[in-house]
Amino acid sequence: MKHIFAIGVGGTGAKCIEALVHLHACGLLIDDDGNPARLGVFLVEPDQQSALLVRAQTAINRYCAMSRAIGRNSDLFGRAELRDYGQWSPLTTSSGAISLDQVFPKAVLRTQAPGVAALFDCLFPPEEQRADLEVGFRGRPPIGSAVMSRINLEKEAQVGQWQQMLGDIQTAAGSGEPPIIYFFGSVFGGTGASGVPTLGQLLKNWLKRQGLTSIQVQASLLLPYFDFDGMADDDTGVHAESRNFQLNTDAALQYLRSSGKACFDRVYLVGSDIKARYGFSIGGTSQSNAAHLVELLAALGVRHSGKNSGGYAHVLSRAKPQAVGWEDLPDDEAVGEALARGSRFAVAWRNNFSHEIGDAQKVSMSTFLSGAPWAGKFFHPAGASLSTGGRPGIRDKEQLTVQSAIDQYCDTFLQWLNQIASNLGSGFRQELFSADLLSPSDRFEYSLSRIVQGKARPRRPESADTVESIKVQMDCLPSQSLPHRGMAGLADCLWALVV
Amino acid sequence: MRNLQWILLAACVALGIGWIFIAQNWIFLNLFPGLLVGPGLNLTNFLQTGSSPAFSVFWFGCIVALFIWIFVTSSASPRSSAQTRQMQPMWWLAAALLTLFGWLCLGWFTIFQWQVSGTSPEASGPNFYPVPPGGWFILMGFVLIDVLLLFWLPTLLASPRTYRLVVPGAVTLLGGR
Repeated sequence: MKHIFAIGVGGTGAKCIEALVHLHACGLLIDDDGNPARLGVFLVEPDQQSALLVRAQTAINRYCAMSRAIGRNSDLFGRAELRDYGQWSPLTTSSGAISLDQVFPKAVLRTQAPGVAALFDCLFPPEEQRADLEVGFRGRPPIGSAVMSRINLEKEAQVGQWQQMLGDIQTAAGSGEPPIIYFFGSVFGGTGASGVPTLGQLLKNWLKRQGLTSIQVQASLLLPYFDFDGMADDDTGVHAESRNFQLNTDAALQYLRSSGKACFDRVYLVGSDIKARYGFSIGGTSQSNAAHLVELLAALGVRHSGKNSGGYAHVLSRAKPQAVGWEDLPDDEAVGEALARGSRFAVAWRNNFSHEIGDAQKVSMSTFLSGAPWAGKFFHPAGASLSTGGRPGIRDKEQLTVQSAIDQYCDTFLQWLNQIASNLGSGFRQELFSADLLSPSDRFEYSLSRIVQGKARPRRPESADTVESIKVQMDCLPSQSLPHRGMAGLADCLWALVV
Repeated sequence: MRNLQWILLAACVALGIGWIFIAQNWIFLNLFPGLLVGPGLNLTNFLQTGSSPAFSVFWFGCIVALFIWIFVTSSASPRSSAQTRQMQPMWWLAAALLTLFGWLCLGWFTIFQWQVSGTSPEASGPNFYPVPPGGWFILMGFVLIDVLLLFWLPTLLASPRTYRLVVPGAVTLLGGR
């Protein structure tokens, strides 16, 4: 089994992890034999209140909850393994320090190493020394680098999340195919730009010391792809400024050019010349930047085996200057089919089947069945619990728990897809999804033909591309072809039939 | 519609034709002559010019209703099971109207057409067929049986897609399939 350990650093890193979780849910992370890979995710972020971190964690939690609820009652849907190593802040190593002058106590430096204290004053102006880092490294890579460089991975490997993850890396390295460690982060902000190369180098050194040199350390590094709308006020203090993005990027790329191989075995560089616009935020709960296609592309780097291509840095381009289509995505056939399956499933489930299950709670099972013959394949026709044939009752508490878990994950997935499809720069369009259909609705969705656009849309007549057609197909399936019943069996069957 | 449903529909129509035009008259003539025959009523004559035309027209009405049902359910686009179930009252309405239509056909060919034309179906008899009360009971009962055979059975077996179980009794009879 293939093991992937993904580490998201900073807000953009967290957004890439969110994208990766959704790609994993769509079955896009597989080994050479087509079996789902085991994905472990870890979020590194000093800003523990970050809305981006919360959103990534929500996606992780909801997928894990759904996968747990489904258990082994499904063949394809929700079977991808996801291990959550949680969140970690580099500030936790600094004995509760929340500013640079607490991380490097100036009073101590002045008495013990006056030269270093002077250098410290020279490198960091007073406002950077005093800045509260609980909202992140404020778009300043030098601040992040100073904090990150104090991380002692040997020490961290003894406790907490690092211990769990590094232990699992060692175990995975000893069981067949060497695992991949994959970093995500921006090179134009603060946390990612400083954290990704530093942690990459620390981890590579640690692997060397452990004799685990077969393990690849790779990274998707995000180049500028958004700008800020609005400005900070006078009270904001040190903050990220989009005018610094290019400068930060240049510095990061120069560093990678000279020292990149000490940090990563391979990097994927992805950005956008057409920038999305986000409202200004210093960090914390107000930083709710919508998901972006660039993060999806960054996450797709994990799929690139690199076996057939040499080189250190990989870049992407698109065919049309003002639009992006399926053809612009790497391995577009497989990626298109998987995302089409995921998006169509989420809409069909959340905006039709889930409402149907809700309807079934209000009427007798025989009344419900008279309008929903497909339901008899998965639930007991008399509504009895755990009957012969393994069909549970449609009102069983466990079944409703599974439904709720799938609903919640679908909500998260649809929100992400909707943002991917609608959060574009000015004058730029995407030809992947219809954004207006990618949201939970109380209305029963009927047609599925418009959800996915372009070549990834299933090739079937529009009139037959409906939820009702899927229900009819379900009803026609012979019982022996349905290995799983109940809510998980229904979801699994829908997953198989929706594309 | 699935192939099997087309076959069942054709079989039901064929069965209905055999029932209406052959079996039913045989039953009237051989099993219920005592109830149908009354003073001044020639049963053979009544079957030829009274009940047979009435049941023929009624059969045609059932076939029309059946194909309207199949057309409507085949071409509908129900978004939900609740929308599918909305066809259930339509089915009951169709079945009730067909029953009424059957009784009206019997009334027309037994009584009203002679009254309107002012003629008598029997030589020197009244200008209607004097069917005894027991005969009316049998004839009206057969209209109900015919609705079951000509409308309920084919709609039960051949309702397409998600309408497969919307016909009354379908969940009990076919729900476990």
